[in-house]
Amino acid sequence: MTFERSIEASAEDRIDKVSDKLFELMLLFNGIIIIFNTLITSHAIYGFVKEGDAFSLITRCQLNIVYWKIPSIAIMLYIGLLLILSIECHNHIELISKIWIEGMIVCGIVIITGITYNIIVLLIFADVMRNRIDWKKKLIYIVGLTIFDLLLSSSLPATYLNITPVSVIWTYYRKDISSALSGAMNMMFLINVFIFILYMVFLTLEQMSEKERIAMLYKELSKANAQLEDANKRLEEYTEESVRAAETRERNRFAQEIHDTLGHALTGIVTGVEACIMLMDIAPEATKEQLKAIEEVARQGITDVRQSVKALRPDALERLALEDAILKIVDETQRSTGVKIDFECSTSLMNFSQDEEEAIYRIVQESVTNAIRHGKATEIKIKITRENELLKINIKDNGIGCGKIHKGFGLHHMEERLNLLNGRLEYEGSDGFTINASIPIRWGNSDEDGNIAEVKDND
Amino acid sequence: MKFFGEKRIRRRYRLILCFVLMIFVLLLINNFHKKVYERKKVLRVGVFTGSYWNRYNGNSYKILNDAIAEYEKKHPDVSVEYVNGITRDNYEEWLAEKMVLGDMPDVFFVPSGDFNIFLNIGAMKNLNGFIRKDKDFSESKFYEKTLLCGKNKNSQYAIPYECSPTMMMVNETLLNQNGIMLAGKDWTWSDFYNICEKVCVRTSTSIDQYGTINYGWKDAFTSNKVKLFNKNATKCDFTGNNIYESIIFLERLSKLPQGRVTSATDFYKGIVAFEPMLFSTYRSYKARDFGTNNYTDFEWKYTTMPAGTSGDNISRLDTLCVAMSDDTLNPDAAWDFIKVLTCSDKIQKEIFDYSEGLSPLREVTEDDDLSKYMREEYGIVLDKVIISEVMDNAEVQNRFQNQEDIEAEVGNAVNSILEANSNIQMEQIIWNRRINDYLKKLK
Repeated sequence: MTFERSIEASAEDRIDKVSDKLFELMLLFNGIIIIFNTLITSHAIYGFVKEGDAFSLITRCQLNIVYWKIPSIAIMLYIGLLLILSIECHNHIELISKIWIEGMIVCGIVIITGITYNIIVLLIFADVMRNRIDWKKKLIYIVGLTIFDLLLSSSLPATYLNITPVSVIWTYYRKDISSALSGAMNMMFLINVFIFILYMVFLTLEQMSEKERIAMLYKELSKANAQLEDANKRLEEYTEESVRAAETRERNRFAQEIHDTLGHALTGIVTGVEACIMLMDIAPEATKEQLKAIEEVARQGITDVRQSVKALRPDALERLALEDAILKIVDETQRSTGVKIDFECSTSLMNFSQDEEEAIYRIVQESVTNAIRHGKATEIKIKITRENELLKINIKDNGIGCGKIHKGFGLHHMEERLNLLNGRLEYEGSDGFTINASIPIRWGNSDEDGNIAEVKDND
Repeated sequence: MKFFGEKRIRRRYRLILCFVLMIFVLLLINNFHKKVYERKKVLRVGVFTGSYWNRYNGNSYKILNDAIAEYEKKHPDVSVEYVNGITRDNYEEWLAEKMVLGDMPDVFFVPSGDFNIFLNIGAMKNLNGFIRKDKDFSESKFYEKTLLCGKNKNSQYAIPYECSPTMMMVNETLLNQNGIMLAGKDWTWSDFYNICEKVCVRTSTSIDQYGTINYGWKDAFTSNKVKLFNKNATKCDFTGNNIYESIIFLERLSKLPQGRVTSATDFYKGIVAFEPMLFSTYRSYKARDFGTNNYTDFEWKYTTMPAGTSGDNISRLDTLCVAMSDDTLNPDAAWDFIKVLTCSDKIQKEIFDYSEGLSPLREVTEDDDLSKYMREEYGIVLDKVIISEVMDNAEVQNRFQNQEDIEAEVGNAVNSILEANSNIQMEQIIWNRRINDYLKKLK
């Protein structure tokens, strides 16, 4: 397809070149006419002077210009016209002022050269036709230029302006020579008109082929548009899929939470109640004790569920800064369980992205819960430090620990979260239970204060 | 595509280049190239040798040289040049060549016949601005009619340098012999006719005597306020009533027994009572006569032209003017030189020594000392009253292209009407058409 297009483009260029070449030819021809005409005129005037006939020339044609000025001024004016013609216009005001200047220059050339057949107007004409304006407006320009041309061709300017009377001046030459000269001039005029007609034909062809090209481009564009729509549809499908995946993930999380909190409590309660049923008749006092313990477990369960619900809700974390959120866990846990928790944070916890915050929060929460639930710890130490580009979380308890670690849902989940952030999790159960998590820090050191303020605002 | 379709920034350069070219064209039209090359201020004067009044004159450049000397005394930084030896006949051609070659003299003399031609091609600068600015220059010093010669539509293009009106020469001796008294300066055609009639009466004792010579249709038409042509002589009105009167008068004159003379020198033989003559002609004859002292054996003087029935004592006035070239580089210097030529009493007085006309300055021409000097030195009478009257009533001749041919045609018409015995007014209408056809053919 690209090959086809390049062939078409080169064909287009060829037509382009023809009309432009014709325009250049017109410019050249007009230049030749002007130079030819003015040189002969000035030569004839000089001839009159040499023959001692200057006075009769002056009285006959009221000539008041120095002979060598005629070609020089005419050529300069023509170069000026060429420069103006080569300027491209972008709007109507520019075009009108351009035509105005061109008209003035053409008037000057007609006055100075006395070229009666003002072929130069055709140049302006051709130039206007090159502009890409719609035909209705072009028509106005054409009518205006035609009127200008007719005015110039009429004898009107000759009566009011001091136009150099070429025909009188050329009488200097012998009759046959002067008629040959004016014949040559007429030939050049005719050739010029012929070039103009050719130019118009090629310009029309060019503009037609351009229309075709535009139509083709339009077709291609609509094809590409259809493709784009298709891609869009696929993208939408993909988005839906990923939403579904997120839902699944979220459901897994729910399951986890339920397992961690409610499941645990209920297991305890069920076991306790079973024991009570067995003990009730044998030792009512012990049963009472046991029920009290169950009550405690149930309460603990409720607390856990509450915490989980809070944790599930993303705004729990969003409402507070990370450090405050952790402090809240610490505080709540201390109050509800009586476990002593020592929290120490030597670095700022600002500027973490949401997933990192979530991960840190969850690690602390899970570790504390694990320590109390599995390790029966009475004292927990939480330490968050920063080492180079790593955030280190160290959580240690004085609980029973465990010889062989059974990786439950909680620990596994923690590891999963950290892996997502390229972090690492280490744990060890010989002396109590110790968890070491490290998360690579993605942000720099700067701009901490600004963020504090922002967070406070959010609060 | 090389020439077109370039970057937009280039547009500005092209526009600027185009405007620079246009400015260059304007500068070229205004002769800036001369200004660039000019070193010292040079004022060139266009002048012809010999006399403007077709007299022999050996002092052709005397006045000009004196004027240059006086001017250069005041303006040592300017040198004045002129080309020697251009004859009166070649002068127009020479000026035209200078004009076409772009080498027009800054100041040039304008024969009255060429004024319209130079006016039409815009060769002369409008001097109104100088006249308004310059407090030394006063138009009232000039005879009003002489200024009209260099004027077009309220614009003064040329300043009169020398003038000469047509006057009626009177053979006093002849009139006295016949016992005829000359009427005053406001005499009329009938006075004129009566005297001619009396002169022409043949007595047995007298030799051939003639009333007038060379009194032609131009004199008659002028005295009767005939306006024959429009400004550029494209139309002629030959049917007017004052033309009819003039022709009747000319016919009456020609029907006198000795009404028409053929020999042009008859007046100098002392046998003709009247001849209209340019003042310059009078001056040169009289001066020569005075010098050799034996040319004529009769007393003659001048008076006003006789007034027509519906006209006045109007003379034709010919004036030589000085104009400034339109593309002069030193207009102020040129103006000062024109002033020296035309307004300086000293230079203007030299006209009476080295030329044949009258000064257009009233004070100079009507100066009593000068009058005395002229009578003693050259035998020329400067009759203050007559000259003043003539100059005030003079008519500036309208000058146009092909004047001689057209006037010949009119003269032809008048002559054939005089010779034919048919109805004059009828003939007038016929000739009116013929002259207008002729004018059309000339265009």
